[in-house]
Amino acid sequence: MAGIRLNKITKSFGDVSVLKGIDLDIRDGEFLTLVGPSGCGKSTLLRIIAGLEHQGGGDVHIEDRPVNGVRAAERNLAMVFQSYALYPHLTVAQNMAVPLRLRELGFFERFPLIGRMIAGAKHAEIARHIKETADVLQIGPLLDRKPGQLSGGQRQRAALGRAMVRKPVAFLMDEPLSNLDAALRVHMRAELAELHRDLGVTFIYVTHDQAEALTMSDRMAVMMGGEILQLAPPAKVYDDPKDLQVAQFIGSPKINALEAEAASDGTIHVSGATLTRRVDPAHAGRITVGLRPEHLQLVPEFGEGTISGNVVHRENLGSDLFLHVDIGSQRMVVRADPLAASTLRTGDTVHAIPLPGRAMAFGADGARLHLQEPVETRQAVVA
Amino acid sequence: MPRSRAHILFVAPAIFLMIAILILPIIVAATLSFTDYSLGNDSFNWVAWKNYDRIVSRSSFQKMFTATLTYVLVVVPLAVGLGLGAALLINSVSRFGDVYKTIYFLPVMAALLAMAIVWEFTLHPSVGLINQTLARGCGTWLEWFAFFRQGCERTFPLWLGDRDYAIWTVSFIGVWQGFGFNMVLYLAGLTSIPRELYHAAEMDGAKSGWERFRLVTWPMLGPTTVFVVTITCIRSFQVFDTVEAFYPQGGGPSKSVYVMMFAIFEKGIQQNLIGLGSAITMIFLIFVLGLTLIQRWLVERRVHYS
Repeated sequence: MAGIRLNKITKSFGDVSVLKGIDLDIRDGEFLTLVGPSGCGKSTLLRIIAGLEHQGGGDVHIEDRPVNGVRAAERNLAMVFQSYALYPHLTVAQNMAVPLRLRELGFFERFPLIGRMIAGAKHAEIARHIKETADVLQIGPLLDRKPGQLSGGQRQRAALGRAMVRKPVAFLMDEPLSNLDAALRVHMRAELAELHRDLGVTFIYVTHDQAEALTMSDRMAVMMGGEILQLAPPAKVYDDPKDLQVAQFIGSPKINALEAEAASDGTIHVSGATLTRRVDPAHAGRITVGLRPEHLQLVPEFGEGTISGNVVHRENLGSDLFLHVDIGSQRMVVRADPLAASTLRTGDTVHAIPLPGRAMAFGADGARLHLQEPVETRQAVVA
Repeated sequence: MPRSRAHILFVAPAIFLMIAILILPIIVAATLSFTDYSLGNDSFNWVAWKNYDRIVSRSSFQKMFTATLTYVLVVVPLAVGLGLGAALLINSVSRFGDVYKTIYFLPVMAALLAMAIVWEFTLHPSVGLINQTLARGCGTWLEWFAFFRQGCERTFPLWLGDRDYAIWTVSFIGVWQGFGFNMVLYLAGLTSIPRELYHAAEMDGAKSGWERFRLVTWPMLGPTTVFVVTITCIRSFQVFDTVEAFYPQGGGPSKSVYVMMFAIFEKGIQQNLIGLGSAITMIFLIFVLGLTLIQRWLVERRVHYS
């Protein structure tokens, strides 16, 4: 069974082009996250997959079936909305029954009394499905309540329940956790990932929260300006971003993007330090060096390869301590061990050294530049 | 600690105004309804339930109830239904929505007394637009209908002058005048329905417009409907200007359009029977109060979300 395939999807609203030819192959049973800042087109893409929005161009295939002209109701997908979109006048159980009633029951079978008389078996079947799903989500006691009487987390579960009762090809989720408080969000992250493992169904998850993308997905597609900049498993996106924008978007605190100078032989000078690895001399000139806070280490003395500056702010998270260091023209965040750095105060001068092999270089256009060990670089140039 | 009495001072102006302009007049009217007082008299006699007795037993007042209830039962469903229908249609068109809104709202804004002249002319038995148009159908297949055949043989109805037609004609004008207001209320109700609910309905498999209406639109318009029905009911009970404009002599052909408000006006003001007028007013008040209580009950019970 194949998953969902997108082929050169474009979409414009008036003159503004929000999707610029998206190609995406979503595997069956995969948890794929579309992540990006607001306005990058991720929700629009999800709604195009759902069929709630028509693409300007390109094709959507679900299970190898082209669905361009197929309306949302007939695509057999389920969606969880940011606002949950539960029907406020129906109880949780009635909300969960809606997709089953509309699909399984005929017009007369939905009538209050006659329906049960002519299709009692079907009604019993629906009730059984709701009961089963409610047990999985542990919302059994809530079934008779209306959405207005539920907390945010409970509504979220009810919305999930409504999506789960009929076995859809895929779940589409549009920022389902963004209305929850921070603690519940972390909890639901783990629960959603577990649910995905248990169900084995494709999840397409839209979020602007890089932490959700990193923690839950099998693969994540980082979108910006209507394009997918990188599609890879979370670890790969974090460790090996293809683009400066991706590197800056993924990771908290943000990666340090330091202005640097590549000499004509490819050596990189960044804020007084020189990196051991070099860039292809063709890229000589202004470049950007990306250093994640955990890839900088505090050293006691100024020395070769250190970057120095004054502490302007310290953030103690308990397990980690982030020092904001003023290194002249810009600021840099360094992660330190809270114990080792406990004596540091704002205003103190600190020295940090990049861990070998971890720095990333980005060209003027933001594209990732390959860094090479010095000896080989010279040989390559000679050869 | 001594209890402060400031709270009494804070609510005093509102309480005073409420008593002076709402509660007191009702009490006065209720008291007068048990007397034979006439404006200008120095004294009055207590007549106990005599005024109410007259209302219940006299045939002209039975006609009053018939006319009023007929008017309400015709105007409320039609004005609400047409208002909802027009709102749904206007909501679904992408162009000219504002034009339709303006057209349907025009009768609401127009003074009914002025419009009555237009209607009187339109409904005139011989030169009126309606009967002239109907007369053009004579001699065609339309004569298969009994109504048409009789109209052509003798004359088409005297819409305002025939006691079989008068109350229906007045009701029709009431619908014409009132449904635009309901349409505006429904349009406001429609814009407050979250778009995502329609998307959820589509994802859940609601394919036809009827399914979407049953699942989302109608339940979400519940609070609007309760309000619209109540306000239309009260306005229908209060109908007066159409009757006064068409039948200033009182109540239309055989008192078939003798509605409550007109009865109050005729007895209490024209004939200066303040006691009798007050008694009708009290009955009117009980009707309206009952409606309002039903509305409150519905709002609390059935259509209160959030």
